[in-house]
Amino acid sequence: MRQKKRSLALLVGLLGVVILAASCHKKAVAPPPPPPPPPAPAAKPTVNLTAVPSTIESGQSVTLSWTSENATSLDLQPDIGAVQSSGSTSVSPTESTTYTLTATGPGGTATSTARVTVTAPPPPPPPQAPPAVSEETLFEQNIKDAFFDFNKSDIRPDAQQALTADADFLKEHPSINFTIEGHCDDRGSEEYNLGLGDRRANAAKNFLVNLGVAASRISTISYGKDRPFCTENTEACWQKNRRAHLVMGGK
Amino acid sequence: MKYRRLKYLLVLAIPLAVFVGRPRVATSQGEGWFKTGINMGQTVIRIAVPDFTARSTDPRLVSLTQVFNQVLWNDLNNSGILNVVSKSLYPVNAPQEPQDVDFNGWSSPPASAQMLAFGYTEVRNNSLVVTARLFDVHSPQNPSVLAKRYVSDMNELSARDAAHRFANEIIQTLGGGVPGINLTKIAFVSNRTGHTEIWTMDYDGFNQHEVTNLPNLNLTPRWAPDNSELAFTSYASGNPEIYLYSLLTNRRITFPTYRGLNTTPAWSPDGKKIAFCSSMGGNPEIYVSDANGLGLQRLTFAPGVNISPVWNPKTGNEIAFVSDRSGSPQIYIINSDGTNLRRLITAGGDAEAPSWSPNGLFMAFSWSVRETGHWDIYVIEIATGQIVQLTQNAARNEHPSWSPDGRHIVFESTRTGTRQVWTMLADGSHPQQLTAKGKNWNPNWSN
Repeated sequence: MRQKKRSLALLVGLLGVVILAASCHKKAVAPPPPPPPPPAPAAKPTVNLTAVPSTIESGQSVTLSWTSENATSLDLQPDIGAVQSSGSTSVSPTESTTYTLTATGPGGTATSTARVTVTAPPPPPPPQAPPAVSEETLFEQNIKDAFFDFNKSDIRPDAQQALTADADFLKEHPSINFTIEGHCDDRGSEEYNLGLGDRRANAAKNFLVNLGVAASRISTISYGKDRPFCTENTEACWQKNRRAHLVMGGK
Repeated sequence: MKYRRLKYLLVLAIPLAVFVGRPRVATSQGEGWFKTGINMGQTVIRIAVPDFTARSTDPRLVSLTQVFNQVLWNDLNNSGILNVVSKSLYPVNAPQEPQDVDFNGWSSPPASAQMLAFGYTEVRNNSLVVTARLFDVHSPQNPSVLAKRYVSDMNELSARDAAHRFANEIIQTLGGGVPGINLTKIAFVSNRTGHTEIWTMDYDGFNQHEVTNLPNLNLTPRWAPDNSELAFTSYASGNPEIYLYSLLTNRRITFPTYRGLNTTPAWSPDGKKIAFCSSMGGNPEIYVSDANGLGLQRLTFAPGVNISPVWNPKTGNEIAFVSDRSGSPQIYIINSDGTNLRRLITAGGDAEAPSWSPNGLFMAFSWSVRETGHWDIYVIEIATGQIVQLTQNAARNEHPSWSPDGRHIVFESTRTGTRQVWTMLADGSHPQQLTAKGKNWNPNWSN
């Protein structure tokens, strides 16, 4: 503690001496010498930057070339940094870029810019994904009708084949509800054929249900001989009309 | 009543054809042993029908009188019970009043008429007035059989109506008391507009008009016993359903809807029940319910099609229908309580579209004896199984329906190339084409 008090006193004393000395010195100052002549000014740097080509597509290259004078350092931005006083470099910008070359020399700085425009590449060819096919199209491509004998609603072997394939498709597409239309050739009464068409539609329905197609998906309707597919009086035509015809929709 | 018994006995007297393998049926044309009408066992009545005279030169009256004369002639000529004497054989002067009648001239050759229908027309108070008489010219002392006066509007339909009424009177008087059918109607299906709708027409094909205007298919019309309603099958909702339609209010009457096929409705003769085909249970079967749809009962229990029921119009206790339970469509009869099922025709082929005669004794039906694609109309006497063929040509003749007097049958035929509605006498004679526009089928004669 005693030490500190002593230092403080010394400091105050010294301060007083300095103040006294300063006030005395002012009267004794001589006039200043003339300033030295300024040195000869250094030449200002120049720089020139070009980009060839100035427009590219993304992924292509562009050559940046530059020259400079009176520069001690060159800085090419963005991303490149210090470069020689002249030269060239290849760049592949992914988006439009303005390159700036800054030349620094004793005479100051200079800049030159070059704009590289990057255009979007042409749209890539669409990926070769499988075309989207509607369920309607699939249904029409895959579903086969069941055909019948005269006055009969029994499922023949060829109809069994058709309906078995139908069942496979229908089980793979469980969202499809459908209607089975019963049709007949035009021999016999309109009324009997209404009943026969109903039998045919239900026979086809029962066959599909036994193969695991949900009955709730299936509607049936008989059109008898009133909605023929063919109107000639030939067995070939009659056979076309004796069918269970599957159509999407219903329920 | 008398003519029916005579016919019945006569048919019974015909030796039965023996069915060996292929059914052999008697043909009616050319043999003349299957006849309907009072000519069975008695002389055909010859009737002369000179044109009625218009008593003024009012062109409307002249025109309506021509209509009246033509309709009266056609009605009597189509009655099946009268021989209408050709006009070329008549005495020169057509009588208007009783004192004009030359009894000897009409009853002697060449006219040789027994009956004479005559009269005149006039306009009174802007109405058409027809004074009409029927004389028995063999009884000059007491000749008057009928004396009628018809007052109607001055239009063609009214003139036709007056002629139909007078013809009905003559036929009922000379035909054993059976009312004439000249005011009856025929319901049928037509696609002439591009839509398949229910239509009606007069029995002679006149006055055709559309009853329904519903989407989709409308089929199988049947008259109610009192003719106030039609029952039919409509796909208007998308599913075939039974529709009842009032011809008095032109409105649909509610009837229950069921899933599946619902078709071929048919009223019982008392109008209280309706038999129909439904696959509501999975298979087309015959059901019977009250006319309002309550009290549903299933009548048949057979795999296969069971359809087209018709009631015995005489008793109401039996229903005939079509079933293919034997492998091909055939006609069966079952009691309306579901008992006593039997097959009507033992021969093979396809037998469909039964129509029960009004007296309950006969069934008309369409039959394809072999799978030839040829169809014809036949009549079977139910008690004996005797079958008569009524149509004979290569076209399809199908869906017979009896007139209420039992003397006529309406049916559909393709003999002109397209399916059209025709009538004929119940012996197969006098075919008349009633429709020509579009296709027309499934006729049903009113009661």
